[in-house]
Amino acid sequence: MPIKVLSPEVAAKIAAGEVVERPAAAVKELLDNSLDAGATQIAIEVQGGGVRLIRVVDNGAGIPPEEADLAFERFATSKVATTDDLESISSLGFRGEALPSIAAVSDVTMVTRSRDELAGTFLNIKDGAVLQKTKRGCPPGTTVTVRNLFRSFPARLKFLKSTATENGHISQIVTQYSLASPEVRFILIIDGRTTFRSPGSGSLREVLAVIYGVENAKLMLQVEAGDESEDPLLPQVTGFVSPPSLTRATRSYMSFFVNRRWVQSRMLTYALEEAYHGLLMTGRHPIAVINIAMPPQEIDVNVHPAKSEVKFRHDREVFGALQKAVRATLLAQAPTPTLDTLHQPQPASASFTERLIMPEPTAQEAAVESSPPTQPAAEPAARSLPILRVIGQIANMYIIAEGPDGMYLIDQHAAHERVLFERIRDQRQRRAVEIQGMLQPVPVELTVRQQELLELQAEALAEYGFEIEHFGERTYLVRSVPAMLQGQNVAQSLTELLDFLGEGAKTDWGEEIAISLACHSAVLAGQALSQQEMLDLIRQLEGTSQPNTCPHGRPTTIHLSAAQLEKGFGRR
Amino acid sequence: MMKVSCSQEDLNRGLAVVGRAVATRAVLPITNNVLIAAEGSQLKLAATNLEVAITCWIGATIEEEGTITIPARLVTDFVNSLPSGRIDMTVAPRGQSVELTCARYEAHISGLDAADFPPIPKIDEGVTIKVKSEELRTAINQVAFAAASEESRPVLTGVQADFDGDTLTLAAADGFRLAVRKLTLDNVVEEKVTVIIPARSLAELNRLITDQEEPVELTINPKKSQVIFRLRNVEMVSQLIQGTFPNYDQLIPQSYTTKAVVNLADFLRATRSASIFARDGSGIVRLQVMPKDGKGKIAISARAEEVGDNVGEVDATVEGEETKIAFNGKYLVDVLGVLGEDEVAFEATTSSSPGVLRPVGKDNYVHVVMPMFVQW
Repeated sequence: MPIKVLSPEVAAKIAAGEVVERPAAAVKELLDNSLDAGATQIAIEVQGGGVRLIRVVDNGAGIPPEEADLAFERFATSKVATTDDLESISSLGFRGEALPSIAAVSDVTMVTRSRDELAGTFLNIKDGAVLQKTKRGCPPGTTVTVRNLFRSFPARLKFLKSTATENGHISQIVTQYSLASPEVRFILIIDGRTTFRSPGSGSLREVLAVIYGVENAKLMLQVEAGDESEDPLLPQVTGFVSPPSLTRATRSYMSFFVNRRWVQSRMLTYALEEAYHGLLMTGRHPIAVINIAMPPQEIDVNVHPAKSEVKFRHDREVFGALQKAVRATLLAQAPTPTLDTLHQPQPASASFTERLIMPEPTAQEAAVESSPPTQPAAEPAARSLPILRVIGQIANMYIIAEGPDGMYLIDQHAAHERVLFERIRDQRQRRAVEIQGMLQPVPVELTVRQQELLELQAEALAEYGFEIEHFGERTYLVRSVPAMLQGQNVAQSLTELLDFLGEGAKTDWGEEIAISLACHSAVLAGQALSQQEMLDLIRQLEGTSQPNTCPHGRPTTIHLSAAQLEKGFGRR
Repeated sequence: MMKVSCSQEDLNRGLAVVGRAVATRAVLPITNNVLIAAEGSQLKLAATNLEVAITCWIGATIEEEGTITIPARLVTDFVNSLPSGRIDMTVAPRGQSVELTCARYEAHISGLDAADFPPIPKIDEGVTIKVKSEELRTAINQVAFAAASEESRPVLTGVQADFDGDTLTLAAADGFRLAVRKLTLDNVVEEKVTVIIPARSLAELNRLITDQEEPVELTINPKKSQVIFRLRNVEMVSQLIQGTFPNYDQLIPQSYTTKAVVNLADFLRATRSASIFARDGSGIVRLQVMPKDGKGKIAISARAEEVGDNVGEVDATVEGEETKIAFNGKYLVDVLGVLGEDEVAFEATTSSSPGVLRPVGKDNYVHVVMPMFVQW
């Protein structure tokens, strides 16, 4: 094939693909425009996962009629005029790509009126070309309606996930934006149902209450910009972080904003978790909403068309500022349970110090993994376990056992997970899941995303013994649970189960639920086991169909053969 | 400065009593210490972990009054190892260590200034109640185990104590079961008071009142944030849990369709033996109540996949319909183990509604357990 310059339509679609990769991205671009237009109320309506319809209605500045069709020209923007402006971008959008990109892959109509105009402008755009432009009466502000997204772009359409997944991504975008702009009232309507409404009062804590529940919002600690950071060039960190007692099993509860732009950054995540160093158990993560305000020239947001990544000119300063601000907040505000007549120095508070001296499994884990003798010698154990004699436990994590050929190390959590996973999976297959009723139903508050997953998977959850009843808004009552969860924190187990289901693509939901239940009920790393408990665990592991891996696929057992031991000690 | 002598037996016992309140983790390093204070004619020992504080007085001959704190584990273990006889303790003026001698043993123990020890709360005002110690001990035994050990809802880790007229009602629940016990007070409270006492503190109290005959006196401070229990020569202060305890009256079934009266010891034995087979699974113990001509029996069984099964039967006086219901065996064993009467009444409605256990002949206790839903 000879080399040709691409036709404008093809080029536009390729470029559009970078900006608008899925419906949620279109929503994001439209929200950026609304916020840049100074809107204080934004309603988002989606249907069919955003493919059938996305409508964003704002009460912002609007576009004068003579500029309205220009908005759909590529690289047309009111936000940047010269390259110098790119150095100091303070608006959310600036590339001038959003509207044309969306218009290139969908049918768009726009009604807009600026406050000074008497009548609004109506535009109908199909395949990137203006079909119709008329005057129309409308309230001030802009309404953009996107229909049939990706219809002319079947390759993209094919790769979209289920409606529920796309709705989930859209909810995620809207909730994150509401955290960035607490003074703006956001309303999200999915398939005719209002699923999210932020108060728009300007109080971030109130937005948190809507997203994470009133109880959690009350517990959140406020991060305030320090007095000493008067220097306008230094990053100012503000927001809310959870006390060490309030944690989640995934990192998806940390939201970062740089100059109110939602960003995803490993560096920021790492800095935040560093601030909690020694306060959280392994595998637990904080809830946080952090805004970093800094001079626009100190950052580069023009890294990727979707603008979800930023580059900092002085990485280390930002890292330090975030870590320091959060650490200071945690140290100063962590609530302390004490007898109230006792006075004691603040830093040595009960719950706090207790956590500080908790053994830190990460370090142990790392040490065990990197210890030279086991690593090269480690090989998958035989298909089924031989008869093992328990010798003891190390680091309260691994069982040491002797077998006919050398030494076996068994990860107690992974092994128990395997046992429980097979048990509950078999019970479900036999339709004989063991269920424990609750004497008093347990109320659970869910996030929008969790609620969607709950409703999507209601049937599968019921098969496992969850009897869950809607109790208004996003509160649910749990009336029964799988017997396996007895003694666990029911509300936490359920929300974490839903979070787990929400991560990544799942093919077999039923099995995923079993994996999560097993993981929650299994004995934890760090728990001391008696000799009898270790024996029972190994016996039960022997009875499973795949004793060598946990349901997540990690090994349960490491075998160090007698030959390897001899070699290691230089006996042959 | 301090100079005091006492008997090894008294000091050993006193240290064991307050030792229960010594902090196990170094929250505030000084809370690992025990406070020793020679005042008037008695030697005061005190320890606190900031949640519970225990103070104990023992008889002593005091030559010079004074106070000091010394590491609790060390002094307790050391005193325990000494022969019985007289112990002399001396702290030099402005000294930070105790010289302790007993027979031919001598030790120097470094301590910390008593001024830095957290003050043990004094509660002089507030509602004061007297209750027979044996009665209180039994009641705590019958209730405290039903409190939650998992701390997602702090109020459920406590026991609600409701003082009304001359009646104290203790209640504990963990989401799966509920225990309610009423007992009579030695005095009448003027005003109804309801507080939530940590179940752990009550368990500790029970250890302290083992050999006490006189009534226990307790006072709740006006802020309802602390309670003090006064025993012979011992006081325990516990902080109270703030919050609202669930309204449990509505959780107690008002009626039943099956009622079985059985011998408590037989029922407990059969449940224990079924629990052995249940332990490989989720602890499921199955009850089958079978009426027959005004008499009848309960079959108590358990089975585990690929392990086996067992069944035990106990005679019963059954009223109402035949029924099948399954429970976590541990919950049954817990309650049957503390009922303390010859016979127990078991009441049920359906296999998915709560079962009720009451001692026969006493109407001061009720226990409600939520069943497990299983295939039969």
